[in-house]
Amino acid sequence: MSKELTYSQVNRDVMRPLFSPSMAWHALMALVTVGLAYGAFCWGIQLIWGLGVAGYHPPVFWGVYITTFVFWVGIGHAGTLISAILFLTRSRWRTGIYRAAEAMTIFAVMTAALFPAIHVGRAWQAYWLFPYPNQRQLWQNFKSPLMWDVFAVSTYFTVSTVFFFIGLVPDIAAVRDNTKGFVKKMYNVMALGWRGTDRQWRHYMAAYGFFAALATPLVLSVHSVVSWDFAMADTPGWHSTLFPPYFVAGAIFSGCSMVITLMLPLTKLFKLEAYIHTWHFEHLAKLCMFTGGILTYAYGTEYFIAWYSDNMYEWGTFTDRVFGKYWWVFAMMVACNCTIPLLWWFKKVRTSFVGLFAISIVVNIGMWFERYNIIASSLAHSFDPGAWVYYTPTYIEIGILIFSFAWFFLWFLLFVKIMPSVAIAEVKETLRPPLKHDEEAAAK
Amino acid sequence: MSSHAAPAAGTQLKAVYKHLDSLLQGIHDLHEAGVRDFTVLSPIPRHEIEEMLYKGEPSPVRWFTLFGGLLGGTMIFSLASLTHANWPMIIPGGKPLVSIPPFLVVTFEGTILWASLMTLIGLLVMCGLPFTDPPAAMEDPRFTNDCFGIVFTRVPKNAEKIVHILEHSGAFEVTGGGAHG
Repeated sequence: MSKELTYSQVNRDVMRPLFSPSMAWHALMALVTVGLAYGAFCWGIQLIWGLGVAGYHPPVFWGVYITTFVFWVGIGHAGTLISAILFLTRSRWRTGIYRAAEAMTIFAVMTAALFPAIHVGRAWQAYWLFPYPNQRQLWQNFKSPLMWDVFAVSTYFTVSTVFFFIGLVPDIAAVRDNTKGFVKKMYNVMALGWRGTDRQWRHYMAAYGFFAALATPLVLSVHSVVSWDFAMADTPGWHSTLFPPYFVAGAIFSGCSMVITLMLPLTKLFKLEAYIHTWHFEHLAKLCMFTGGILTYAYGTEYFIAWYSDNMYEWGTFTDRVFGKYWWVFAMMVACNCTIPLLWWFKKVRTSFVGLFAISIVVNIGMWFERYNIIASSLAHSFDPGAWVYYTPTYIEIGILIFSFAWFFLWFLLFVKIMPSVAIAEVKETLRPPLKHDEEAAAK
Repeated sequence: MSSHAAPAAGTQLKAVYKHLDSLLQGIHDLHEAGVRDFTVLSPIPRHEIEEMLYKGEPSPVRWFTLFGGLLGGTMIFSLASLTHANWPMIIPGGKPLVSIPPFLVVTFEGTILWASLMTLIGLLVMCGLPFTDPPAAMEDPRFTNDCFGIVFTRVPKNAEKIVHILEHSGAFEVTGGGAHG
């Protein structure tokens, strides 16, 4: 962070983009509205006619919806990783970017949370997933990985939201003090009347540390639990102890890429270059290179174990992924996740706007196809050759996939206009405080 | 530095500082004079302020966290165990009804969830949030921007001496008045 910045300048710079939407913002919102409308139409058709309108074909009953669920849960990893783990390790480069990354996490998990409801078809009965006393005395099976998943994702969402909100409180108070009338009252309610007293800061800092410590194991656990949705089943291509670290690495890889995709244009549009430098994006790209390397290694290990195990079902599924009808999905996955991101090893590429932005989008596409590759190709090519099928999504499923992106961007666009996208108090903490001693020394 | 007549006892008093070292000097001087019943306001958390006011005493929020974690873990493990005992599915392979490894997953989630929620409650309780009716002296937008402050919500009888200490320590504005709400 630049040493020339002052506390009041931080307030001014971060609050400048609030409340005055630009043409670009309106254009994006219009695009989002179209996506939401089309997606709502598709979901409406599915609610009326049932899951038959999706491309499900026995034995493939997990397709685009579960793929997209896993994709969004994965995207939701980077925010809490950056805000919690990098807070505990005192990584200074988190300061400029963690607020928007955290917001991205919350909105990504909110998007993912739609999919169990969409996937079950009868969305109005999705609450059956949660344990609640009922007259049938019928309870969930706590030994099922699907049950663990409900607990893992809802806990992750709740803890991340609380952590995000607590981090926002002092900054909302700063925004409040720059507004008037009804808006000021609203911000005061959201800031819980925060004033920055010694007592408030004392307990706040203690609690913030605890939230970070509690959120840290969740970052690693939530996608491990999601991976068990697959790994606990004996379906070829899924039943592997490799899955938890493989999924966590993939989640961080895709999450950090999404942070780059969102933050690069945000920084330019809101003129936040004094707070978010190329240096921040380079760190994110390095994190992606590291986790992308783990992912490539995991892909290789999967194939080695399938061959070395001498299990014909396992090897059959893995060879079918490369040479069968899903070869193009496999090719997309390898190209987007293993090959193209190698360009980031060149400093020139990982420090250029185009290099960062384009490859981050490629990684996100690749990570969606990775989940599709795991889910669809395994189910379509299971034990019984008589049951082998080729599942392809229908326009309804594609429409709901578009809906998920529109839903995610709706929340993110609203967020950047209502809340400070950069953590004001934490940025100030990284600056040298105003000292009389310094002023006197400068005067001499 | 502005100078003002000392406010009447029982009213509020506010000193605004532009510099952190001046604020720390003010806190030190007040402590030296035996004055402790004041509030420090700051746009950012500073360990120096906390150290001077609380002498490194840890926040009690940690007890809320510990209690929440223990409560959540116990509750969820009990829920899973009692559910399976109430609906005993005989699973081939001789697996026990109350099985530790699968229940550890939900127990872990319950522990983290409740520890976090209790930390939130602890934070709200200990900070006195929502802070619905702050004294007027604290409602200064500069304290969330670029200034530090010392506020007396009820000025003691030796107000003149306190004003002198605050001004002498480097406060660029010392204002009084406004009865305590």
